[in-house]
Amino acid sequence: MNKAVQLQLEKEPNRKLYLSTIGIILAALLVWSFMGVNITGFDPRGTQIASNIFWGILSPDLAFLFDFRTAGGVPYLLFETIAIAFLGTIFGSLLAIPISFLMSPSVVSKPVAFVTRLVVIFIRTIPSLVYGLMFIRVTGPGPYAGVLTMSLTSIGMISRLYVDVIENLDRGVLEAMTSMGCNTYEKIRYGILPQLFSNFLSVTIYRYDMNLRDATILGLVGAGGIGAPLIFAMRSYRWNEVGSILIGLVILILAVEIFSNKLRSKLVNG
Amino acid sequence: MRETVYDKIFKPKTYTLSNGKEVKQHASRMPFILLIVLFITIVSWEVTGVDLSMIRTRGYQFIVILLAMFPPNLNFMSNVWGPLFDTIQMSLLGSIAGALLAIPFALLSSSNIIRNQLLNGFFKLFLSILRTLPTLVTALIATFIFGLGTMAGTVAIFIFTLSYIGKLMYEHIENVDMGAFEAHESMGLSKVEAFRYAIVPDVMPTYLSVSLYAFEGNIRYAAILGYVGAGGVGLLLDERLGWRDYPSVGMVLLILMLVVFVIERISEYFRMKLT
Amino acid sequence: MTMIEFKNVTKTYPNGVKALNDVNLTIDQGEFVAIIGLSGAGKSTLIRCINRMHEINEGTLMVNDVDVGKLKGKQVRLFRRNIGMIFQSFNLVTRTSVINNVLISTVPDLAWWRKVLGLFPKEKKIDALEALDKVGILDKAYNRVDQLSGGQQQRVALARTIAQHPAIILADEPVASLDPVTAKVVMDDFKKINKETNMSILINIHHVELALEYADRVIGIRQGEVVYDGKSEAVTQEVLDQIYGSQAELPKMNDPEEAEV
Repeated sequence: MNKAVQLQLEKEPNRKLYLSTIGIILAALLVWSFMGVNITGFDPRGTQIASNIFWGILSPDLAFLFDFRTAGGVPYLLFETIAIAFLGTIFGSLLAIPISFLMSPSVVSKPVAFVTRLVVIFIRTIPSLVYGLMFIRVTGPGPYAGVLTMSLTSIGMISRLYVDVIENLDRGVLEAMTSMGCNTYEKIRYGILPQLFSNFLSVTIYRYDMNLRDATILGLVGAGGIGAPLIFAMRSYRWNEVGSILIGLVILILAVEIFSNKLRSKLVNG
Repeated sequence: MRETVYDKIFKPKTYTLSNGKEVKQHASRMPFILLIVLFITIVSWEVTGVDLSMIRTRGYQFIVILLAMFPPNLNFMSNVWGPLFDTIQMSLLGSIAGALLAIPFALLSSSNIIRNQLLNGFFKLFLSILRTLPTLVTALIATFIFGLGTMAGTVAIFIFTLSYIGKLMYEHIENVDMGAFEAHESMGLSKVEAFRYAIVPDVMPTYLSVSLYAFEGNIRYAAILGYVGAGGVGLLLDERLGWRDYPSVGMVLLILMLVVFVIERISEYFRMKLT
Repeated sequence: MTMIEFKNVTKTYPNGVKALNDVNLTIDQGEFVAIIGLSGAGKSTLIRCINRMHEINEGTLMVNDVDVGKLKGKQVRLFRRNIGMIFQSFNLVTRTSVINNVLISTVPDLAWWRKVLGLFPKEKKIDALEALDKVGILDKAYNRVDQLSGGQQQRVALARTIAQHPAIILADEPVASLDPVTAKVVMDDFKKINKETNMSILINIHHVELALEYADRVIGIRQGEVVYDGKSEAVTQEVLDQIYGSQAELPKMNDPEEAEV
């Protein structure tokens, strides 16, 4: 064995201590969380209810599922949920534009970016249901409270993703434009905006997908959408109605997911 | 570019160059898309009864509650720790179990690992359907099956984590460069050995990073699961909001923010190291 | 001593394309052979049949007195241990260290628990480091592969093959994605290994100049058939025309599909 090889062999980084420390911490956390959670197994009536839900999904209340006329049918409730998520996303993304600029270190000074970031993190941490209850005080129960909640809760993630877009702008285009003799306005209009627009749109569509999922739960505090009827149906053991609502929900979200993926890949690939 | 129905209605412009070549410019779809967005906005506006003047006239109500939370009720702090630890334990256990079970699901969904389209499709659809169920709805159903308490919350988080990590991982595995796998087979490694040394090292950092990210998000989700009786700090929030005891709500939220902040920083540190 | 022998080998792909047509070749131990021809002429197929990454349909292929077509399951893997392979796109695990990539060549010899945990014994590590030393990137041993340049990555792949201690090295376009200077460095490495260890080396290569400069023997392939087989010094312009065809047969570049904006 020659000397260089010998030297290099001794230089092998030793990560055993590091890895085993992490392993032990993880194991301890796992044991701790096992102690905290009451592993109850099935409730005595649980299996019965599980099979009830299962049968409810297999034999949904068809009249309820295809009730296109009244405001209480599944189609209208889904429609309302879509509307809440849509407006919430639009408002949220509009609010996120100025915030994201205030958050990007390449646009504003470092302290400003840091403070805005902190504020957004705190906005994000408050659970959406708490906002829902607070907005109900403003607007009264109903979908409007849902829209306001969605707007506020989507700011956090949208602005974080917008910041990534702003930070990753292709500066080569600007260099090329400078070399062609363009002024600042022309550079923003033709160099920056086209890049921002499609990327921002892609982020927004992605967030719409998630907001739709979140909008379904706002009904639990009375902020409109399909959540409230779901919880009523479950509390009163009307499993066929539960089945109808779940089927409607799954189909809607799957459809929106497929559609938004198509749209986004089209945006990215032109 | 392909001609679509849109191009039949709005004819593309044709330019003739000086050398006689013809170039077609398709009409922009932008006005059309903006029109659709505007239309949906108006419809949604009507359906949800949005009334901006209300924010002006009654917006102070929002501030009222916010202000009522200050100063937070410090004496309430001792009541927060128990449920808060429940929340963390729920999301920890649910995340780890979900992340572990996501591995076989992701492998069964990946068309480059298990060459059976029927099986891949089945598991992909299964993960997608699981993903459509909002965590709170799963938790609600779980409280009926497992009774009120942390078990229901853990199951809800477990199901969400499984679907989330499962989907992200099969997407990653399907995009893995199979070149190394081929090279290992050419050296005489068996398929299992080649998988262990070509795919696993490639996928592992992403898997750990995605799992950490899921855990981060789960803490925030777990905080509201108490709302449907699935245990944790949400129970406390529900109770105090019901009693309009806003200083205590403020305390709960403050501690929640600090804990989430600390956990996010730790997880972000490790995720940075992984990439 | 004869190392590789093709006897009337024919290979047809399931889609009906005849990649090899009645190929007869003998390659001796220690030979440095370059295989040239157009893309799609069957160069890659020819090489991949030797370690049975592809199956042949007709004829027999003997490697080191073993009938390749008759091997089954574990025998195939044992047989492949003796043949190294280098790829155009390096085919390394990019998210792990250089030495780990080289060590992978020793995996089949390890105890099962070592295989699972990825723990390699010291003598294998020394072996891997020595292989890295031979191709001159010993100092990069603990770097991650994705931090290396293309030429360095190809040398990692070469070290991985050296650590396997094969009798034959097959290289499928090893320098096609490298710049001209790096390509020469990698070709020098091949030449060095060939001279020092007497391994047989078969290289598929696009660059005719490199093929003529480094190889002792050139095999020209056209539409699945061997059209030239001889010393590299004897290759003339007529021979090249025979292998690559005249200009008229090349695909046209001014295709209307390509020109459309």
